[in-house]
Amino acid sequence: MSYSKEKVESILNNGISRRSFLKGLAASGVLTSLPGGILQANEDLNTKIPYVGQKNYQTFRNACPRNCYDTCSIKTYVKDGVMQFIEGATESTYTRGGCCVKGNSYVKRVYSARRLKFPMMQVGGKGSGNWKRISWDYAMETIAKKLLEMKKEDGTLLGAALTKYSGNFGITHYGVEGMFSSIGYTTRLAGTPCWPAGIDAQNLDMGDMWCNDPEEMKDSKFIILWGVNPASNSVHSMKYIYEAKKKGAKVVVIDPIFTEAASKASQYIQIKTGTDGLLALGMAKIIIEANLHDQKWLDANSKGYKEYKAYLDKEIKLDNVSKITGIPLAMIKELALSFAKAKPATVWMGYGMQRHTNGGSMIRAIDALVAVSGNIGKYAGGARYGHLSTWGFNYAALSQTKPEGSVGYTGVSAIKGEFAKESGAKAAYTDRSLNINKTARELLNAKEPKVRLLWVACKNVFSQDFDRNQLIRMFQQLDLVVVADQFFNETAKWADIVLPVATQFEEYDVNVSYWHYWLSLNEQAIKPLFEVKSDVEIAALLSKHMNKLEKGSCTFPQSVDTKVMTIKEFNPGIYEQFGIKSWEELKNGPVKAKAVIPYADGKFKTPSGKFEFYSDKALELFGNALPSYVEVRKPYDKFRMTSPHSRWSLHSQFQNLEWMEDMHPEPYVYINPDDAEAKMVKEGDTVAVFNKQGLLRVKAKLTDNVQAGTVLMYEQWYNNNIYNVNELVDDTSSDMGAFKTGAPGVALHDTFVNFRKL
Amino acid sequence: MQTLQPHDTLRLDEVKHLRDIFNAQNSKELKVAFDALNASIEISQEDLEIQFNRYFVGPMETVADPFASVYLDNPDVFMSKTTLYVRDLYETMGFTYSLKNVIPEDHLGVELDAYYQLLFLEIAKEITYLSDLRHYFLHEHLALWIPRFLERGLAQSERDSKAMTFILLQLKSLLIRETTTTRSS
Repeated sequence: MSYSKEKVESILNNGISRRSFLKGLAASGVLTSLPGGILQANEDLNTKIPYVGQKNYQTFRNACPRNCYDTCSIKTYVKDGVMQFIEGATESTYTRGGCCVKGNSYVKRVYSARRLKFPMMQVGGKGSGNWKRISWDYAMETIAKKLLEMKKEDGTLLGAALTKYSGNFGITHYGVEGMFSSIGYTTRLAGTPCWPAGIDAQNLDMGDMWCNDPEEMKDSKFIILWGVNPASNSVHSMKYIYEAKKKGAKVVVIDPIFTEAASKASQYIQIKTGTDGLLALGMAKIIIEANLHDQKWLDANSKGYKEYKAYLDKEIKLDNVSKITGIPLAMIKELALSFAKAKPATVWMGYGMQRHTNGGSMIRAIDALVAVSGNIGKYAGGARYGHLSTWGFNYAALSQTKPEGSVGYTGVSAIKGEFAKESGAKAAYTDRSLNINKTARELLNAKEPKVRLLWVACKNVFSQDFDRNQLIRMFQQLDLVVVADQFFNETAKWADIVLPVATQFEEYDVNVSYWHYWLSLNEQAIKPLFEVKSDVEIAALLSKHMNKLEKGSCTFPQSVDTKVMTIKEFNPGIYEQFGIKSWEELKNGPVKAKAVIPYADGKFKTPSGKFEFYSDKALELFGNALPSYVEVRKPYDKFRMTSPHSRWSLHSQFQNLEWMEDMHPEPYVYINPDDAEAKMVKEGDTVAVFNKQGLLRVKAKLTDNVQAGTVLMYEQWYNNNIYNVNELVDDTSSDMGAFKTGAPGVALHDTFVNFRKL
Repeated sequence: MQTLQPHDTLRLDEVKHLRDIFNAQNSKELKVAFDALNASIEISQEDLEIQFNRYFVGPMETVADPFASVYLDNPDVFMSKTTLYVRDLYETMGFTYSLKNVIPEDHLGVELDAYYQLLFLEIAKEITYLSDLRHYFLHEHLALWIPRFLERGLAQSERDSKAMTFILLQLKSLLIRETTTTRSS
C-alpha cells in the first residue's frame, strides 16, 4: 500500500493542514474534472473552507406525542443537522429535565436502520413479501384512482375506511381524519380501544372527565393508586407521590398484580380482578357508618345520595365484600377509615380497571367513594382518571368540508371520538361508524357498500385489535390496504402500499396531555430522512392527485407546511388558558395551564348540575342509575389472563428498538409458582397458552407478583415475532363507552385461558 | 481525457455499475445497471427489484443493510459516528452532497460514488491529488465494513437469489482487486 495513513489523518484532524489541502484542491482543477454522481464538486471551497473545530448544538423544542400520561416536553440537541441526544425540558415542572426509558431512546428510533424509508407496493399479493419501490406520486395516484373508481361505482365513498388511533396524539395528526372528511362521507372505525368505559362513567357522575393537576399529589395526605402503575408507565408522576410519602402521606396500591408502583407504596393490597367496584362500595359503606362522610358537601353538591346510601345499606354486605375481593375485612375497614380521615385524599384510577365487562361500573363506584369522602373539587384531592380540558384547539387539520354532492350514510349519527369530534351543521348524510373494538368482524360484515379500501394510520392493527385470523381474512378481501407507519410491523406485512411517516422530530406539531396541564410546541428539528412525510403532507399529496384526476373531488389543501398547519391550531382560548400571547412563546419552553381545581365551584356538567350518584342517563343507557356492584365476567376457561403494558413499550411502539430488545427481548407468560407446579411447568419452559380464540407458544416466567389463578402476558409487538396477546382476547365489550366515544370498550382483562408445557 | 487502457475502462465501469445498482431509484434503473455488469442471469426487471429490496432496501427487515455504520458502530442505527466520519471525508475530498441528512453518507451507493469519482480523477484525468485520500478511504473504511456486509448478504444469497449472489460477488471481487492494486497506473 502506497498511501500514508498518518498524512491523511493529519489533513483530516489538523485544521491548518486541512485548510491548505483544500485550498490546493480548489487550485488543482480537481473539482472541474469530477465526472459527477450523487456527490457533486464543492465549488465553494475557494471561499468556504469547512470549520473543523467543535460545532455548537442547535436546540429545538419537541414533545412526545405517544399515548402516555406524561407527554414529555423535550429539548432536542442537533449538530450539523443530526440529532445527538434529547433531554426532558427543564421548564416543565412535570417533565423536569427527564424522560422515560422509551423517550430516551428517541435518537435510536429516528435513526433506526429498520425505519420505513420509501413508499412501497406489495406485488404478488398481501403477505407475499414481494415489495417494489414506488414514487410518492405513483402511490398517491394509485390510491386516488381507486377512491374515484369506488365513488363512481358505489355512488359514495363509504367503501373507503379509516382506522386510526393512538400512535401519535399530536394535534395536526387529526389531519388524517380531515383527509378522509375531505374526500366525502367515508367509513370510520370509531370509538377507542383504551378508556371508553371510564370516560362514560365519569361523564355520568360529573358531566365531564377532568382530573386535578397531578403535581398537586405532592400535597395529598392519602393516595390510592388503584389499578395504575406509574412507576412503569407514568414515571414523572412518581416524584409527586414520593414527595407526598416523604411528608407523611400514605400511598396504597390496589392491584391484582404486584407492580413496580406497588413495590414503592406504603401498602399493597392484592385484590381479586374485577372486584374493585365492590371494594369501593364497601369502603363507602364503612365511611358512612362511621359518620366520616362529608354530609355538608353531599347535601350541597350531589344528586341521589339518599338512594345510593339506601343501596349500600341494603345490598352491600361487608363480609361478602371481603370474601369476593379477597381482602380481609379488618384491612378494608382500616383502609376506608384512614382514607376518610386524611384530608385531602385522592384516588388515581388506571385504565386497566375499566377493561372489564363491569369496568364502567367500577369507575362509577370509585368516583362515588371519593365524593362520599368529600374529596371532589378539593386541592390535592379528586377522583383522577384523565382529562381533555386543555385540548381546546381549532382542529383545523381535522375540520374539512365534504366535496360538493357527497353522498353518505343515513343510518346513525355522526362519528364520535374522545379527543375531537366532527363539527359543523347537521348534514343529511353522515360517515358510517363501525366499532373499532370489533374491527375485523365489522369490516367483514359491512355491506352496501362493502369496504374495499382501508387506510391505517397511527395504529398497528395486528398488535392492537382482536382475532388475528379474522383480521388476515379481512385484509385479504380488501382491494387496497394502505398502511402509513414508521416501521414495518405485522400490519404493514398485510398491506398493499406502505407509506413512510415522519417522526415528530421531522415535522411541526403541538401537544398536550390527558393527564398533566402542560402545553408543548413540537418543532421540526431535522430534515425528514429518506422519503418520509408527515401525515398532513400525505393528505395534501393525496388531495393534489385526486383533484388532478377529478377537480373538486378533495377539499384538503393541496400543499401544506407542517409549521403553518400547526400555527392554525392555536386560538385565543388556548392563549388565555396557558397565559401566553402567541404560539411563538412556546419556543422558549412549554407552558402550563392556569391553576384550576376541577369542580371546586360545585358546578358539574351533569343534567342536574351536581355530582350524580343517581344518573337518569345511566339508567337510560345502561339500565342502572346508581354506582352499584356488577359482577365481573364469569370464567370460561381455567385461568384469567391479564395483558397490561410493560415499561419497555407503549402499546406496539418502542419495543422494536435496540435498547428495549436488550432489556426485554422476547415475550413471556408470567405464571404463579403454585399454578406452574400443578402444571409441571418450570422457569424457561415453552408453554402453549390457549383458549377458544387461539393459541400462543411462549416461554414461562414464574413469579408470585401474579396471583394464583391468573397469568400475565404483556400487550405489545415484538419485532420479527408474530406474538400478539390479543390472539387470545375475544372482542367482548365492557359495559360502557358508547355514550361518549361512540362504541363500548373491550373487556381485555376478562380473558380466560389454559396452558400446558410443550 | 487520455485514451484509457481496456483494463482501466473495465475497472472504472465496474465501480460505476455497482454504484448505479445501489443508487437505483426504480426497477428500470436497477435493471440497466445490473445488465451492464454482464451477468448471464435471466431475471425480469420486477423480480430483480423485489429481490434487491428484500436484501438491501426493505420495507421488511433487510438481509444486509447497506450502511457502514451498521457494521462499524451499531447494528441497529445509522447516522452515527461512522456516517459523520464519512461526511468529513467527503468534505475533504471536495464533494458536496445534496442529500445531506436525508440519506446517510455511508450508504454503499454514495460511498461507491465517492470511490468512483476519485478513481476517475486518477485514471481518466490523471490527477493524483486525491490518491492518498482514495487509498485511505479504501483501506481504512471500505475494506473494514464491506467484507462484513458481503458476509451477511452471501450467507443468505447462496440459498435463494442468483442475482443478488452475483451482485455481491462482483462487489467482493472489486474490493479484492482494489485493495490489492497499488497506485493507478
